[in-house]
Amino acid sequence: MSSPVRIQPDPSFVRELQAAGGESVKKCYQCATCSVACPLSPAENPYPRKEMVWAQWGLKDKLMNDIDVWLCHNCGTCSDLCPRGAKPADTLAAIRNMTYRKLVGPAKIGEWMSSSKGLPYLAGIPAVLWLFIWLLTTGLSIPAGEIKFSKVFPGDFTIDPLFGAVAVFVAWSFYKGVTNMWKSFASLPTTFEVGAHCEKPTLVQAIIDVLRDDLYTHRQFNECGADNTERSKGHWALLAAFVALAIVTSVVAVSHWGSKVPGFHWLHALGDTPMVLYSPVKLLAIVGTVLGFYGLTMLTRRRLNLDAQKQGSSFYDWYLLGVIWAVFVTGLGSMVLRLAGVAGLAYPMYYLHLVAVFMMIAYLPWSKLGHLVYRTTALVYARMSGRKPLTRVEDKIFEI
Amino acid sequence: MAEKIGVYVCGGCGLGEAVDLDAVCTAVKNKYQPQCPVIKAVPVLCSSEGKAAIDADIAEAGLDAVCLCACSPRAKWDVFTFGDKIQVERVNLREQGVWSFNKELGALEKAKGIDDLQLICNEYAMMGVVKMIKSNIPNPEVPETCKTIMVLGGGWTGLNAANAAASLGYDVVLVEQAAALGGKVANFYKTFPLSYPYTEAHETGLDKLITQVTTNSKVSVLTGTTLEKLSGAPGLYKAELSGGQNLDIGAVVLATGWVPGDTKYLAPMGYGEIKNVITTAELEKMAKDGPIVRPSDGKAPKSVAFLINTALCSVDSCPADVALECEKEEQAPVNPPAEGEEAPAEAPFCDLESQRHLALSSELSSLVALKQANYVVEKDPEAAAYIFYDHMMVPGINERYYKAAQDNPGVMLSKAQIKSVKAGANGSVVVSMTDTLLGEAIEIVADLVVLPTSLVPTTAHSPVVNLEYRQGLAFPDLGLFEGYADSNYICFPYETRRTGIYAAGAVRQPMGLALASEDAMGAALKAIQCVSSANRGVAVHPRSGDRSFPVFNFVRCTQCKRCTEECPFGALDDDPKGTPMPNPSRCRRCGTCMGACPERVISFDNYNIDMIGTMIREMQVPAKIEQGGPRVLILACENDAYPALDMAAMRGKPWSPYVRVIPVRCLGSVNAIWVADAMSKGIDGVLLLGCKYGDDYQCHFVKGSELCNRRKENISESLKRLGVEPERVDQFQVAIDEYDVVPSMIDKFMDMIVKMGPNPFKGY
Repeated sequence: MSSPVRIQPDPSFVRELQAAGGESVKKCYQCATCSVACPLSPAENPYPRKEMVWAQWGLKDKLMNDIDVWLCHNCGTCSDLCPRGAKPADTLAAIRNMTYRKLVGPAKIGEWMSSSKGLPYLAGIPAVLWLFIWLLTTGLSIPAGEIKFSKVFPGDFTIDPLFGAVAVFVAWSFYKGVTNMWKSFASLPTTFEVGAHCEKPTLVQAIIDVLRDDLYTHRQFNECGADNTERSKGHWALLAAFVALAIVTSVVAVSHWGSKVPGFHWLHALGDTPMVLYSPVKLLAIVGTVLGFYGLTMLTRRRLNLDAQKQGSSFYDWYLLGVIWAVFVTGLGSMVLRLAGVAGLAYPMYYLHLVAVFMMIAYLPWSKLGHLVYRTTALVYARMSGRKPLTRVEDKIFEI
Repeated sequence: MAEKIGVYVCGGCGLGEAVDLDAVCTAVKNKYQPQCPVIKAVPVLCSSEGKAAIDADIAEAGLDAVCLCACSPRAKWDVFTFGDKIQVERVNLREQGVWSFNKELGALEKAKGIDDLQLICNEYAMMGVVKMIKSNIPNPEVPETCKTIMVLGGGWTGLNAANAAASLGYDVVLVEQAAALGGKVANFYKTFPLSYPYTEAHETGLDKLITQVTTNSKVSVLTGTTLEKLSGAPGLYKAELSGGQNLDIGAVVLATGWVPGDTKYLAPMGYGEIKNVITTAELEKMAKDGPIVRPSDGKAPKSVAFLINTALCSVDSCPADVALECEKEEQAPVNPPAEGEEAPAEAPFCDLESQRHLALSSELSSLVALKQANYVVEKDPEAAAYIFYDHMMVPGINERYYKAAQDNPGVMLSKAQIKSVKAGANGSVVVSMTDTLLGEAIEIVADLVVLPTSLVPTTAHSPVVNLEYRQGLAFPDLGLFEGYADSNYICFPYETRRTGIYAAGAVRQPMGLALASEDAMGAALKAIQCVSSANRGVAVHPRSGDRSFPVFNFVRCTQCKRCTEECPFGALDDDPKGTPMPNPSRCRRCGTCMGACPERVISFDNYNIDMIGTMIREMQVPAKIEQGGPRVLILACENDAYPALDMAAMRGKPWSPYVRVIPVRCLGSVNAIWVADAMSKGIDGVLLLGCKYGDDYQCHFVKGSELCNRRKENISESLKRLGVEPERVDQFQVAIDEYDVVPSMIDKFMDMIVKMGPNPFKGY
């Protein structure tokens, strides 16, 4: 028999977790219906039953090191079938929220991100920052002539260095977060294989597999028990929109800064802004925007229609949806107002757009959008360690 | 003795088609014409015409008894009543004749010219008639009784019982040994919920209850008083109290409650050795008085572990089990002392507390742990309370409290097997355990560990009631219930083995306040039932309202004391010579004394040795087993076995046509002479069908079926001496719901008899 593990229950962690979206966690009475019902849970040490009891006991070390909360794709089958209304799906989401909050510092951002009380700070920082720049450039006035946002917010001296710095900060935070996460996973017990030996993939292979089999296909979403068409399509569309817009931004940045390198002056032809509407890059941006609106609509509609008895939405959920909506609406608004020549509205709209983009990107590692990196990391690790869903011989069909 | 009997044979429910009713009438007429002025077949006896015909005959022919050959006495009992001057006998031709008749076997016999069904019906009808001939209407003596109810114990249950009885108009004497009322509940900080929504612990409301009782003019409260002696019988009790007071009492509610279990049994879990290991009783007191603190340093604990899985204490590390030793003594054979010998001195009272009381209290331990875990968080919102259980037992509405407590973020629960409890650093306690919900063997450090307090009934430590009964001061056989003053909580709640004394609350079984209030009401009602039966000279329970009573023919009594010793209820005292002294109001009319008496001096007016003996003689035994088949007499307990037979018949399950069933009040009333009569008459076997006995007994008179089984052993010995196979007399245990197996029991016994061949006495 292994020597007993000393546990340190923490009631304050339970309360924090409840505030972060897992308010029903204490209702669980450990029947394990959830672990049986989960379409994605592996056969060995299945989740979310064990996470529920760890959460009830406030065992934060176990939860913060737990890879399984990332394997969960929050379809809500467990919550649907839970006889006690303990909402395991919400608890796992709350545990992920707690991970965003605790994985890397500064702790202050994590705290602001955890509830609506932090919202004034989160919005205030970029609002003041961009207002200050506006003050420096045109003294808060609307410049005359053709609408060019660079008149107020010149790329070279304001937007690019600022976002560049933010990007470095975010990248560094993610680097730390991912390393912390990887290390904590390493403390997990290894999975034993019964039966035929199977080759474990290398890191590169695992990354490729995740991108190809998980991200591109959204396989896990589709395999989740309940009907997820709305959620799956919406999420895929939004992810595609982000990819498209990331490409557009990269092209613009590369063409702009690349053209300054001697001998690469020709690059500027690729992505000088403002672009003509038929430019392939602009077209890609428009496609991305359309996909983004489509995805947002689907996801928002689904969340609004959730049965509160089964699944709830936390501040993390609404913050993310809200910020993305803000980015897309102000982005589109800026373009439309610019084309329409309404300078008095176009510049303020662009200002709001910059605030929204800042709010989305600068706090990324502490927001729900952090799952972009953390879940991908966990999925890669899971592939490498062989922690795979139970192979199904028949469809699991649940009727309530 | 019935002299003018009306015999009616019903043709309803298929009887008319299956049996020749006139033949039944003729058979009776041939033998009992003089005693039976009216003998007739009626198409449907329970119809208004049928009933009117009987009424008319009673008026015209002056009948004093009617013998109704129709359905089971368990059916239509509301129809066939004719006032208390007319004796009624129901002959069960429908269930025990037609409906249970094996048609295949019947057809085979009929081909040989024997109509078994007709024989069955004729014989049962004759038995019914002779039963009437041997029966009288009982006329009990009605004593001058007292209706005051004495409630022993002024705790929660006692107060509620006093309140209940007083509210129904009865005078109550409430006796409490402590100086103040309130009992254990006075030390409770809170109780788990007693009312909707059943989610939060609250104050007990004891003060209100005490005021209610003390201001009630019907209740006289005697504090600082104990019961020294209780003599007499229900309705006629004399209570001698510690203050020298003597009171006339009608019935007693026993609500003396519990005492905390001895902590020595908790030693394997660190109690005594580790300072910061305490019991729930100690924590409750702390919570009542103020903050919860650690005994070692007086600091408020940040983490408190409640260990309600006490499996560790049930292993051999505990002191020798006293209860087991008591049982050993009890199992010693009870030999009636030889004539002239002095009755043995009363068995010394034997303390019944053991570590088993921990397990028996576990339902309450679960609830108390939940309640006290809430105290911990209530008194310090930062603190955590852990509960480690084997079974979380929260039956009924308490599930809501469990859910609410579980919802408290500071209360954490897991199943666990406790492996060790050890002292840790700085006064902490380290508990290690396996099989937890957390999925591994774990160790936890707690500032304070709380172990459950078991509820040991006061009756485990002393006789409490101090009866002046021949059978002793205390309730008999409480070893069976670990000292709890119970008889059989499912079948006969509140009843003890002493008629007139009704147990309620924790002295009966560990329970919370809600159940205790209910118990108090139940026991108070039982006590009222008792005093208002004793004053009419009728039985209280289970034969409620029975007017019959045992009559002793002292001329022939040899003072063997079997009746006084075997009476399950201690109804009989005896004089110095050993002559029994009946106490009719203690008696439950089971007839165990009648079954015990070797001289057959005990009888009831409407149930006696001669009556059943004569009925047995009505069985017609074919001279040869090959022609007409064997014969078996079934003496069936009318409480469970007889209804089971009825139900089997109703469901169309037939049994052998060669048996005749005679109902008896209880197998305890079966006298060996009946078996001897049957065997000497050439009957091939006797089957005794009665209730389950042993630890899990279902006998309505507690010991009847067990005593019968013991007597059966003696009968077997006698049969062996006579060269008759002892297997011919057997006793089977039947529960009331075993109607599906009863017919096969009978048939199997019959197969064995057939294989064995005829009774060697046949034909003599």
